[in-house]
Amino acid sequence: MSEWLLPEPREDEEVVMFLERDQLSAGRRVRLPRARLGRGGHVLLWVLRLFTLVVGAMVVYTFVAQLG
Amino acid sequence: MNADGGAAAALGGLTLSPEDLARSRDRSRVDRARSGRRHFLLVWLLVGPGILAMLGENDGPSMISYAATGATYRFGFFLPFILVTFLMAMVVQEMCMRVGAVTHRGYGELIFQRYGKVWGWLAAGDLLFTNVVTLVAEFVAIRVGLAYFGLGSGVAAGLGMLLVLFTLSGGRYWRWERIVLGLAAFNGLFLLAAILTKPHWGSVGHALASFGPFPGGSLNTILLLIASTIGATVTPWMVFFQQSASADKGLTPRDLRYGRIDTVLGGILAALFGCGALIAGAALSPHGGASVQGLAGAGFPAALQHSSGGLVATLFALGLIEAGAVAVLTISASTGYAFGEAVGKASSFNASFRSALTFYAVNVVVAGLAAAVILIPGAPLLKIALNANVLATVLLPVTLVFMVLLANDRLLMGRWANGRLINVAVIVIVIFVSLAGSAYGIDSFLQTVHLIRGG
Repeated sequence: MSEWLLPEPREDEEVVMFLERDQLSAGRRVRLPRARLGRGGHVLLWVLRLFTLVVGAMVVYTFVAQLG
Repeated sequence: MNADGGAAAALGGLTLSPEDLARSRDRSRVDRARSGRRHFLLVWLLVGPGILAMLGENDGPSMISYAATGATYRFGFFLPFILVTFLMAMVVQEMCMRVGAVTHRGYGELIFQRYGKVWGWLAAGDLLFTNVVTLVAEFVAIRVGLAYFGLGSGVAAGLGMLLVLFTLSGGRYWRWERIVLGLAAFNGLFLLAAILTKPHWGSVGHALASFGPFPGGSLNTILLLIASTIGATVTPWMVFFQQSASADKGLTPRDLRYGRIDTVLGGILAALFGCGALIAGAALSPHGGASVQGLAGAGFPAALQHSSGGLVATLFALGLIEAGAVAVLTISASTGYAFGEAVGKASSFNASFRSALTFYAVNVVVAGLAAAVILIPGAPLLKIALNANVLATVLLPVTLVFMVLLANDRLLMGRWANGRLINVAVIVIVIFVSLAGSAYGIDSFLQTVHLIRGG
């Protein structure tokens, strides 16, 4: 047997024991709660909103103008 | 019977989907390699997302940009600067890998659930648009490489689409990853081309040790070049891709050490190959290299044929085809992950076509859209390719800030959240990269409205 090619595990080995519970598709479907932000976090997100609006407008204008 | 036609299994009250079984099969190999203390086998099994994110970012436009910088400025500041930018990318990408391995969820999914739909759709929407434009640039790079061999746009579009369909056809993450890794190995052609140009290694060593000479020219041009070099190394799609791919691969907190090896290895390889493109481009410097228009036609390969011979030109052309092709595969995958996570659908290469239809469809549709654009006669391909990075400048700071928030989220990350030292390093990098990206976007805008003159 090559060092790099281990054989496929038997069917009965292909069980949940190799996966963490929250790794399963069913586990990943559980929704997470919204993040609770402190004052610093809220300020940061407002700065990001302003940045997105201002720079976003500039970049879209640039892209459209350059293609024109 | 479930949506996958009864292929799922039930175990202890849990329903296992085919996606779970495929991932479990991969994890069983990891488990046995770990039990046997087979370190190199573990590295082989667990590398992938980091190398692909880094080599995927060594895409067609980036390699042409490195070569153009070499042709214009030869060896000097930009050679070691490439290494610094990849060092920054490694720090950012390690966080993506860590968050993906600990939470088992993609970046887009976490933004939607933890920070709401507005931020989620902004990130996913901007990424979708930016990725389509970037994919056009990748197909242009494939076309540039193929043009050296006398092949046209139709072959470039067809080859790219065939690759996308072929890699998606297996229904296994492992298969997709290994095929793309195999292709990505050919990014090393740029280094081979560089060696064959017989550069003056003393000058290369001097540049690496001294960060000099610093390039001349207008300050605006230099700043723009620095900003675009950073923007070509840390990009939003990489963040989406590595986190989602780490989760899809099934990495767990026990694999973090190997995830770091993967990320660092990818960064080192990408930096080496990027420097290779710059050194190869520098061979054009004595032959009017600054005026070579790489994306306008078969510029660089043809110019290299005159200066360094047919073999170097052939390697460079093949490298461009590889760089474009790997980026097409990784960027369309990142789009599939992001969109699937945005609409709450299964997003995994381990899932069947039926259960992850959105994910597979988006992979094909974005690549198909980009391929179609290069077939339109008279389409402004050069302008699209050159402006692709400008679009990412809005999303980059947003993506990085949320990445830091997620990596510090104790509810999600527990004891694997960022420590103080990594936070200091990461915050400095995020501020630096965001300022550079923003400066690039704002500078491009000011040039467009003629408030400042371009270099």
